[in-house]
Amino acid sequence: MLAIDMTGDAVKAKNGSMVAYDGQMDFKKLSGGGEGIRGMVTRRITGEQMTLMEVKGHGTCWFADRASEINLVGLQGDKLYVESSNLLATDSGLRTGTSFTGMRGASQGNGLFTTTVEGHGQAAIMSDGPAVVLRVSPQFPLTVDPGAYIAHQGNVRQSFQSGVTFRTLMGEGGGEAFQIRFEGDGLVYVQPSERNTIAGDV
Amino acid sequence: MTTYPGAGPVVHDPMTLPSDDSVNNYTFCVELKGSQWFLQKGKMIAYYGSIDFNGIGHGRLDRLVRTSFHSPLHASDWVVAEGSGKMLLADRAFDVNSYDLEEGNLTIRSGNLLAFQPSLALKQSIVPGFLTLIGTGKFVAASNGPVVFMEPPIRVDPQALVGWADCPSPCHHYDHGYMTGLMGGLRAMTGIGGASGEEHQFEFVGAGTVLLQSSETLMAEQATGVVPHEPGVPGGGGAPTGHPQQPGAPRLPGQLGDLQRRFGL
Repeated sequence: MLAIDMTGDAVKAKNGSMVAYDGQMDFKKLSGGGEGIRGMVTRRITGEQMTLMEVKGHGTCWFADRASEINLVGLQGDKLYVESSNLLATDSGLRTGTSFTGMRGASQGNGLFTTTVEGHGQAAIMSDGPAVVLRVSPQFPLTVDPGAYIAHQGNVRQSFQSGVTFRTLMGEGGGEAFQIRFEGDGLVYVQPSERNTIAGDV
Repeated sequence: MTTYPGAGPVVHDPMTLPSDDSVNNYTFCVELKGSQWFLQKGKMIAYYGSIDFNGIGHGRLDRLVRTSFHSPLHASDWVVAEGSGKMLLADRAFDVNSYDLEEGNLTIRSGNLLAFQPSLALKQSIVPGFLTLIGTGKFVAASNGPVVFMEPPIRVDPQALVGWADCPSPCHHYDHGYMTGLMGGLRAMTGIGGASGEEHQFEFVGAGTVLLQSSETLMAEQATGVVPHEPGVPGGGGAPTGHPQQPGAPRLPGQLGDLQRRFGL
């Protein structure tokens, strides 16, 4: 559960994720996530639809979604990449957009595009079980299971690794045939649970 | 890099990650230094360093499998991780815990076992659906809610049982005083008139430890492989045992056979 104290300012949150509030609040649906017509069309095309609402007022508002864990991410001008289904709320000052993820997205079973959040402020992301935050630095690259990846931030290059060999086809694979490798400098968020991906079984 | 205002999450890197210990209640970190670990397929969520994952059909690992695996029938569900680095394990956001065995034995529900050191030998238990670990080493198990350790003598709910160590006496126990007679039989059969749902338990006596999870939601069963079709092997004779249900398992309400026996038919 996420509690946000507001004094006349606004947050953007996933539509329908408010569970309680006290004080005075206004809820306004943001068509296309507040990204304008262009953003709306992009989202429609890329399949990264998310319906956001803008919450504004005085008091405390509580947000939650399907009892999943909520992790707060602080952004200081850097960019957070997160799946739209994992994004719960952001400060209204943060800009959201979409970006292409390529093979990584495909292996996660989440489509080829992902949502970006950038600016200064805080974002709340959801995970199945509390997320573990792992630092990626030049001397310590990190490899992640696509099913457990939820978000990353910072200046990170990602590459897709496939360990598919003839053994995989024989049903004797290592169970970790697809992996994402992160290099550079930044943070990666993983959840202690794996989504169902095609990679989970091979 | 980013600093976290307020109560942000802890950022881990290879230096701060624990070695062979829990990161939090749901994630376990294994440190590999050229060593090997067995893990269930698909439970690795992330790793630093260079680690290879090989299915246990891999020729080079045959010797290892021979020494640590005594039920080759379910070996295909397991993976050997080897290399150097730190690896995070997790299982569907269930609680994970590690346990040390020292020249001991532990029997655990097959779906709960996540990973173990090759210094332990994994064997199929005589009790269907359970696996036994023997030797010295560390293993990681998942459970639905935190695990509670109990000392026998104890009777436990079948759904809450995760495993037991060093006490070789699991048996069924029925509250017969309550369930005798015609009315008792009807009660057990229909549930009408107050069946508490707790008439059947597992009983443990002797010295040892019983592991319970704090929830009665079972974790998905992991196939343990079929046992040889031989007379005298529980689950071995007769019908193929894809399902670990046993003769003598809790009688389902609605089965007439029970009542018939009660009347001596």
